[in-house]
Amino acid sequence: MISERLKKIILEALQLDDFDIHDDTTANIIPGWDSLSHVRVIIAIEENYGIRFKTLEVIRLENVGQLQRLIDVKTG
Amino acid sequence: MIDTFLDGKETISDCWRSNAERAPHREAVVHYVAGEEPYRWTWGEILRVSSLYARALKDQGIHKGDICAIIIRHHKDFYPIYMGISSLGALPAVLAYPNSRLHPDKFRQGLEGMVRRSGLDYILTEKDLGSVVNPMVTGSGSTIRAVLYPLEWSLEGETVERFPSTEEGGDAPCLLQHSSGTTGLQKAVVLTHRSVLEHVRRYGKAIDIGEDDKIVSWLPLYHDMGLIAAFYLPLTLGIPLVQLDPFEWVSAPVILLEAVSRENGTLAWLPNFAYNLMADRIREDDLDGVRLGSLRMLVNCSEPVRAESHKKFLSKYAPFGLRREVLAACYAMAETTFAATQTLPGKEARNLSVAREDLSAGVIRPVSPGENGRVCVSSGTPISGCELRVLTDDGNALPEDRVGEIAIRSVSLFNGYHNNPEKTDEVLKDGWYFSGDYGFLNAGEYFIIGRKKDIIILAGKNIYPEDIEDVVGQVEGVLPGRVVAFGVEDDITGTEQICVVAESQADAEVNKKKLRLAIIQAGMEIDVTISKVYLPPPRWLIKSSSGKPARKANMDRAIAELMAY
Repeated sequence: MISERLKKIILEALQLDDFDIHDDTTANIIPGWDSLSHVRVIIAIEENYGIRFKTLEVIRLENVGQLQRLIDVKTG
Repeated sequence: MIDTFLDGKETISDCWRSNAERAPHREAVVHYVAGEEPYRWTWGEILRVSSLYARALKDQGIHKGDICAIIIRHHKDFYPIYMGISSLGALPAVLAYPNSRLHPDKFRQGLEGMVRRSGLDYILTEKDLGSVVNPMVTGSGSTIRAVLYPLEWSLEGETVERFPSTEEGGDAPCLLQHSSGTTGLQKAVVLTHRSVLEHVRRYGKAIDIGEDDKIVSWLPLYHDMGLIAAFYLPLTLGIPLVQLDPFEWVSAPVILLEAVSRENGTLAWLPNFAYNLMADRIREDDLDGVRLGSLRMLVNCSEPVRAESHKKFLSKYAPFGLRREVLAACYAMAETTFAATQTLPGKEARNLSVAREDLSAGVIRPVSPGENGRVCVSSGTPISGCELRVLTDDGNALPEDRVGEIAIRSVSLFNGYHNNPEKTDEVLKDGWYFSGDYGFLNAGEYFIIGRKKDIIILAGKNIYPEDIEDVVGQVEGVLPGRVVAFGVEDDITGTEQICVVAESQADAEVNKKKLRLAIIQAGMEIDVTISKVYLPPPRWLIKSSSGKPARKANMDRAIAELMAY
C-alpha cells in the first residue's frame, strides 16, 4: 500500500498534479519519471524521510511497492 | 605506438587477431555490473569465444556483407557476438534495446523503418523480444531472413581452430550505425574498415592514447560516441575497456566514479548532461573510496559543451583528485566516423566570454566588463585528416570570429546515408559534409554554439521534433497538425528540455490538465519526456508558406509569450 506521503513526494518531484500510484506501478508509466529524473525522485524521498538508499538498492527497485517497503524497513 | 601497430593491417579483425597474438592474457574488456565482480575478458579468451560465435552464426547462414542488427542489453557475451559477426565480413549494427517506457508498437514501427531503410538481414536479440520482433520476418517487404537468440546458444565444449579470416580489403564495409530518432526517421551510416582504422589512428594520436590508458564508459553502443570512441578505439589498439551498463549508470551515476577509482581509468567520454548529473545528484557520503587522480581526459561531447557544467563538476571532484586539465572537449558526429575536432591532452578546454549583443548578429567580440556575455567552450582544433570551414547560409567562407554553419571534409567522411540519396544530397556537397551546426573559429580553435537544424539533443540523444509532433497530434483534444515541439536549454540539467505547443479547444483548466497529461503520456510512448506543454487556442501557431506550423517562429513566440508566465 503506497502511503499518501510517498505519493505526494513523487508527484511533487515530477511536478504532477495527480496520478494514480499503486504497489505495482512502475516508474515507466508515471509521466515525467524517466532515467534523468529518477535520481531526483530518489533524493527527494531520502531527504523527506531522512533515510539513505544504497546504490544497489536503487538499481534493483522494480516498482513503487518495493520502494515503499524499502522505506518502511529503513524508517522501521 | 599507433602507427607501428596499425601499419599493414587492413581490417578491424586483423587488429583484434594481432592483439590476441601479442598479449593473450592482457585484458580486453572488463564487463562491469554494479554489486558484482566484473567479468574480465582477456584477449585470448574473447577471441576464442568470438570464434565460436562466428562459426555458429555462419551455420545460421550469416555471411559477408549481411547486415546484422544486435538488440541485446548489457551482457558479457555482447562483445564476442559483435566480434564474431564482424569476423565473417558481415556488418554489425547495434540498436537500442527498448526500455519499458517505449510502446511495443512504436518500437516495432521504428524497427520496421530501419529494416526498410537499412535493409537489415538478421536480428540478433534476446528471447524476451521474440514476440515483438518475430512477426517482422514474415511481414510484407521484410528483408529479415531470421531472428536469432545467440545468448541461448550453448557453445561450451565446442572448439575452433582460429579466429576467422575474411580476407577482406580495407574498402569493405565494416559496420552500420544509425542516427537517433524514434519512428523511422533514422539515417544509417555505413563505414568501411579503412575509415574506422584511419579514424582510430588519427583520433588516437589527437588524444595521445597509449599502452597505459584504460577507457571507462557507460555509453550505449548504438551511439557513435560509445561505439567509436569507447569501443572501436580501445579494442582496435588493444587498450582495456571497462564497460558499464547505461541503465545502471543513469540510476546510480556514482558507479562510473567507482569504476574509474577501482580500475584506474584514464579516459572517458561524456555528454554534457552527465557532468551536471554527477555534480548535483551524487552526495559526498557516496564518494568513499573515490579517487579520480588516474583520469587524464574526460571528453565532453555529443551535446553543446557548457562552461557551467565543467565548473561545477571540477568544484565537486577536485577534492577527489580530479585535475582541471582533465576537462577536455570534442566535436564529433557519426558522418565523420566520430571526431572532427579535439582539445589538446593535458590542457583544459578553453572558455571564451563573448558579448551576447554581437553574438546574436553572428560576430564574436570579447565581453566588456559589466556587459551581458555568454561563455563559449572550445571543442579544440581539427584532428589530422580533417578540415573545417565556417560558412554563410549561401555557402561562402567566413573569417575567424564570425558565426556560420560548420562544414567538414575528412579522410574518415561517410559516403552517404545508406539507401537514402535524398538525405545524402542535402548534407554532402562536393566532398564536404554540411553539419547543420553553428559555430565559429577563434585562435585556431572551433566553438560550437547552436544548430541550424531543428533537431533536439536531450541527454546526448538526437530527437526529431517531427516524431514528437506526430504522436502529440494524435492525442484526442489536440487540433490535428497544429503542434510544434522544440528544445530549450536547461541550466539545471545541463541539457535541453522538450516543450510542446499544441492548439486545442480545451478552455476549462481541468480539461487542460487532462490534456497536458495525455500529451506527456503520448511522448512516453516513444520514450520521450515532454517537460512543458502549452495549450494556446486555435489559430495561435504561426504557419509557414507550406501551411504547416513554422517551428522556429513558434518557438520564439512561445518563449516570449507563453513560457514567461
